[in-house]
Amino acid sequence: MHQKPSFADWTAIVEGTVAHSEHYGTLRLRVTSDFPEVQPGQFVMIETGRGLDPYLRRAFSVATLSREENSVLLGILIKAVGRGTRNLMDAHPGERVRIMGPLGHGFNNSPAEPEILVAGGVGVAPLLMLATTLADQGKPFDFYYGGRSRNDLPRLTDVRALTEEAGGRLVVTTEDGTEGIQGLVTAPLLANLEKGDKGRIYTCGPNGLMKALATLAEQFGLSGEAALETDMGCGFGACLGCVVQQVDGTYALCCKNGPVFRFEEIQW
Amino acid sequence: MVKKPNLSVDLGRLKLDNPLLTASGTFGYGLEFAHLARLNRLGGIVTKGLSTLPIAGNPPPRISETRGGMLNSIGLQNIGVETFLADVLPGLKNFSAKVIVNLFGYTPEEYCALASRLDEVSGVDAVEVNVSCPNVKRGGLQFGQDPEMLYQLIRQIRQTTSKPMIVKLSPNVTSPVPLAQAAESAGADMISAINTVLGMSIDTETFRPRLATTMGGLSGPAIRPIAVRVVYQVAQAVSIPVIGIGGIETAQDVLEFLLAGASAVQVGTALFRNPRTPETILLDLESYLARKNIAHLSDLVGQLKLWEDKE
Repeated sequence: MHQKPSFADWTAIVEGTVAHSEHYGTLRLRVTSDFPEVQPGQFVMIETGRGLDPYLRRAFSVATLSREENSVLLGILIKAVGRGTRNLMDAHPGERVRIMGPLGHGFNNSPAEPEILVAGGVGVAPLLMLATTLADQGKPFDFYYGGRSRNDLPRLTDVRALTEEAGGRLVVTTEDGTEGIQGLVTAPLLANLEKGDKGRIYTCGPNGLMKALATLAEQFGLSGEAALETDMGCGFGACLGCVVQQVDGTYALCCKNGPVFRFEEIQW
Repeated sequence: MVKKPNLSVDLGRLKLDNPLLTASGTFGYGLEFAHLARLNRLGGIVTKGLSTLPIAGNPPPRISETRGGMLNSIGLQNIGVETFLADVLPGLKNFSAKVIVNLFGYTPEEYCALASRLDEVSGVDAVEVNVSCPNVKRGGLQFGQDPEMLYQLIRQIRQTTSKPMIVKLSPNVTSPVPLAQAAESAGADMISAINTVLGMSIDTETFRPRLATTMGGLSGPAIRPIAVRVVYQVAQAVSIPVIGIGGIETAQDVLEFLLAGASAVQVGTALFRNPRTPETILLDLESYLARKNIAHLSDLVGQLKLWEDKE
């Protein structure tokens, strides 16, 4: 029941927000240098207002982490979907926000297998961190990145650079065809798997995408992990609000047992 | 030399170092958050509600944020009393916070079995009887809404345990007074109020309720005025100590409850935003007492002055 505690509550200072498009931006937060290492797939709970509305913090994957001389700079990819996320997109440099983390369990990347990263829209955030880690380790990976349209592919430039650095293949899709291949991101992946591609799959994106990938993985005998998202009350295991149903019929906490789960654990 | 203000609380057979407890369902069993919040700064911890056997809880979605609060229908998910006693309680004994075990059942027999199980356990400083959780479709809901049923239940539980017993009241009743009086007559040592307020929210895109169970319990600052009102009504009607619960975020909120008649309080939903909330409140309470030159926090209990009262 008790995992080794490795998270805390931090006061971060806003460096600024880099806008990628109308709805996406990267919030840059500076914290003290004792901020722990973040496993790709882990997340933080960020307060999005000073008062009582919005009331709860919001959960975000850590997309980038840069350890500097006396501080740590975190990059948080934000999609402005509501008041909380809009507040963060509009945060001014110098503002202070409290963030709790790093929370949860991240991806368990397997040294032996080739790796296939599949991102849907803002789900690219934890996979950006994973790609950075793999590139640093000199491990090749293929990256499949899909979105509704070209404006739903935030940080595509960084994904492209990392994939090239790792010597892997980048496949980009948009449903409306405004970037890359038209259609869903699962289509080119399926085609490549049928041609004999193998690898361990890591994904984050809409539930429909992750469920489809779990099915594909099972079909081709591949292993894989998904970084799930749920509404969260606290993010650290106190409220029991974020449960996901497992195949064995029990509930797991997305914040504490996840957010990364193996494909075969989840009742999709 | 200025004497440090006294924050200790005398609840009869339960004594607290300070009036701040954590509310059931908001801090697990306390131990797992010992690194996030200094447990020695708490007057006490009220555990997640325990049942005889573990309970899995309701299907998701279980929570929904509201303006100034949240709805929940967790469904009493808990590890069961045996796992708590074996795996958690030993660790809790290392902290100065009092341990109050919240318990519930679906029949009087279940409540009594739990109370009896805990009666001989050292390290359990009190029990809090949950008769008011609105998330369960049977059992508990009825006891807390009917004074006669509540009286019978508490009387039975009273016979199985000599631990200090708190009865936690529901706000989802026409008046809390008959229920508070029934609990007191039946032998409760303290009343805590309130549990969550029955509420509902609907997603206008999907047309579905935001909670899988349709209705759930509202908590947070939004309910504080209801909680203060119930504490006031109950404190006027009983002689036993009252513990106030409902939307506490700040020292000022705590003081409201004390003035209304509560001797101690529980902080709940606020912990989701900031687990250190009780520690901040304590510092602010100490400052307040120093500023107002009040020696003992408990001097403020029930000091509400109605408009018709003389100065």
